[in-house]
Amino acid sequence: MSTRLMCAALCGVAAQLVPLSAARSHEIVGNRFFPATLAIDDPGVNDELALPTVSRFKTGDDPSVLRTDISGEFSKRITEDFAVSFAPTWTRLHPPGGPNMTGANGFQNLESTFKYRLFKNPEHEFVMSVGLNIEWGGSGAQNIGAERFSSYTPTIYFGKGFGDLPTSMNWARPFAITGQVGYAIPGTTSHTVASIDPDSGDQTFDTEFHPRVLVWGGSLQYSMPYLKSAVVDLGLPDFINQLIPIVEASMQTPVSNTLASGTVTTGTINPGVIWVGKYYQVGVEAIIPVNRQSGTGVGAIAQLHFYLDDIFPTTIGKPIFGNGITTGRPAFGN
Amino acid sequence: MKHFPIIIATVSAFLLQAAPALAHAMLDHASPPVGSSVAKAPNAIVLWFTESLEPAFSQIEVRNASGAVVSSGKAQVNRTQMRVSLNPLPPGTYQVIWRVLSVDTHRTQGNFSFRVGQ
Repeated sequence: MSTRLMCAALCGVAAQLVPLSAARSHEIVGNRFFPATLAIDDPGVNDELALPTVSRFKTGDDPSVLRTDISGEFSKRITEDFAVSFAPTWTRLHPPGGPNMTGANGFQNLESTFKYRLFKNPEHEFVMSVGLNIEWGGSGAQNIGAERFSSYTPTIYFGKGFGDLPTSMNWARPFAITGQVGYAIPGTTSHTVASIDPDSGDQTFDTEFHPRVLVWGGSLQYSMPYLKSAVVDLGLPDFINQLIPIVEASMQTPVSNTLASGTVTTGTINPGVIWVGKYYQVGVEAIIPVNRQSGTGVGAIAQLHFYLDDIFPTTIGKPIFGNGITTGRPAFGN
Repeated sequence: MKHFPIIIATVSAFLLQAAPALAHAMLDHASPPVGSSVAKAPNAIVLWFTESLEPAFSQIEVRNASGAVVSSGKAQVNRTQMRVSLNPLPPGTYQVIWRVLSVDTHRTQGNFSFRVGQ
């Protein structure tokens, strides 16, 4: 039996476990509103709909392939602190992508996230949640790289606002950070595919190894709504007062079963801005790969995100169980 | 599924056109303004919110630098406006702490400071 490593197929395995574009939730703790972030998830547990999230970037494959993702995510609170979300993603691989290098398109595997808010401290604008993300293997199209096995990613999320800094540091109080650390566990460590060598006619076996991956990232954000409502009202135009400049980092590091994938960290840095309204937010970010394995050139991602708890506060915008009384966000306009 | 982009565009357009009657009540502006310094001590704090408030569950408290309450009486609510009277304020820094319930039952809270005579 001859065993070959399917290096080409393994390129970007880590990235396949964690799509670059994903819809995310939002959260408020005391004075602080944490917007829904575009590249990573935040600690938020809420009723919301991100539709659409559109991203376009060049992959880390060799040769690099231009990829367009269009995704959505619906998140529903079961109780005040527990929510379930579903996120389909449609992918277009431009030539030379796809199995025949002529391009391909189709759905990625469906993703579900179960998230529970563990702790919330309004005084210190701190929140922590835990969650389990499941990528349902076999639910997507193989020609765009959807795996046939499921992946499970237990994750810790946190958010911290700096509003509790002394007033002598007022300039820094609108800053906040969020972060996540997860461990992506593929449902299978490897699988072998039998085939016939066209030259020799011998039977060959190709073994593909699926690494376990540390999924980590964070965001640094400066909240103009916070500046206006809690620090100093500078009399700026409403549009400016609704902006949250943000930088996100989304990384993946293979940590075990790395025979073929190696342990190189891949990921992107995403600078951008989020406009926050009463009923929805709009976010736009650049996608900058951190190394060649993460992609080439600068991509972009944009998202329209609806707060269902505001649009439909008495129906689908409240928890299935519980009183449905929720905290709000610093929003003006729309 | 080639119609996927069309479907999500349609749903997004529907939601953008949705006309919700209610939302969270957030601080729009205040008198004295958030973070301001005023030469003359105000005799009341007035807050304007983005939505109508439930009077029974909405309140303001004003504290001086040592933490003592300097507001007097219960806050008065008139739709989106909430007002509380102040005791005579000597020069210093004061913190305004507000908690409100909007008419759609969303709770919000916040705080800010202002200065008198400095």
